[in-house]
Amino acid sequence: MLVPLAWLTAAACVALAAWAAWFVVRDRAVVLRQLWGAAVVEGLLVLQAVVAGVLLVTGPAEVDGVLFWGYVATQMIVLPIAAAWAFAERTRWSSVVLLVAALTVAFLEYRLVQIWGAA
Amino acid sequence: MSAPARGTGHGPGRLLVAVYGVLALAATARGLYQVATKLDEAPVAYVLSLLAGVVYVVATVALATDRRRLAWATVLVEAVGVVVVGTLSLVDVGDFPDETVWSGFGRGYGYVPLVLPLLGLLWLRRTGRGPVDGPEAEGPQAEGAHADGADRDGALD
Repeated sequence: MLVPLAWLTAAACVALAAWAAWFVVRDRAVVLRQLWGAAVVEGLLVLQAVVAGVLLVTGPAEVDGVLFWGYVATQMIVLPIAAAWAFAERTRWSSVVLLVAALTVAFLEYRLVQIWGAA
Repeated sequence: MSAPARGTGHGPGRLLVAVYGVLALAATARGLYQVATKLDEAPVAYVLSLLAGVVYVVATVALATDRRRLAWATVLVEAVGVVVVGTLSLVDVGDFPDETVWSGFGRGYGYVPLVLPLLGLLWLRRTGRGPVDGPEAEGPQAEGAHADGADRDGALD
């Protein structure tokens, strides 16, 4: 896995989480622009999966495939579901949901780097 | 948004369902992985692990869609499960490696599996009158549900 790309993805998650946290403080619900932010993170996840796949096929890298792709799949479905769930609620709890989801994806990113390095 | 504002999936319940969802995902994915790759190492623990994941999924859906009776049942199963399996894993009766959500009272998941059913039960109690179904079970009239007051539909950018 391309580690710089992993850190960039994690940073994007943390930025999204900070944005959501700010909205929690301001007592506001998630806005459409934040969903675009989540879409950017999702795009990075897809890019990362493609890069990891290419590296695994072409390079000498070895990982526990089931575990790795299980995490990749899990990580990818968190934000779309959470975004829909958050957006349908028009109170500050909407922002709390997005905050938790973004932190979850960041944590999974950290685990992915560990799994990649463990091989 | 057809569900009434005081359903189990609104307000703070929104967060509860989200955390339940994350745990459901984590436990189910892990259970699937364990059953798929190393079932013969500890069949009881790994099948239980997957079962726990499925219970979390059902609880998440029940809370999200305001199915109170189902929510009560599944949340109670989780509360009992984490205590029983947590205890068993401490006294170490062989077949319980530290590899289910409930092992060590949910230690591997920051004790979230221990705390969450308690919060779930409190929330169910607060939003209704007990394990009863029915859309008109007396909820916390207005006070809790609308306390935030900030219905910011206009803030969609």
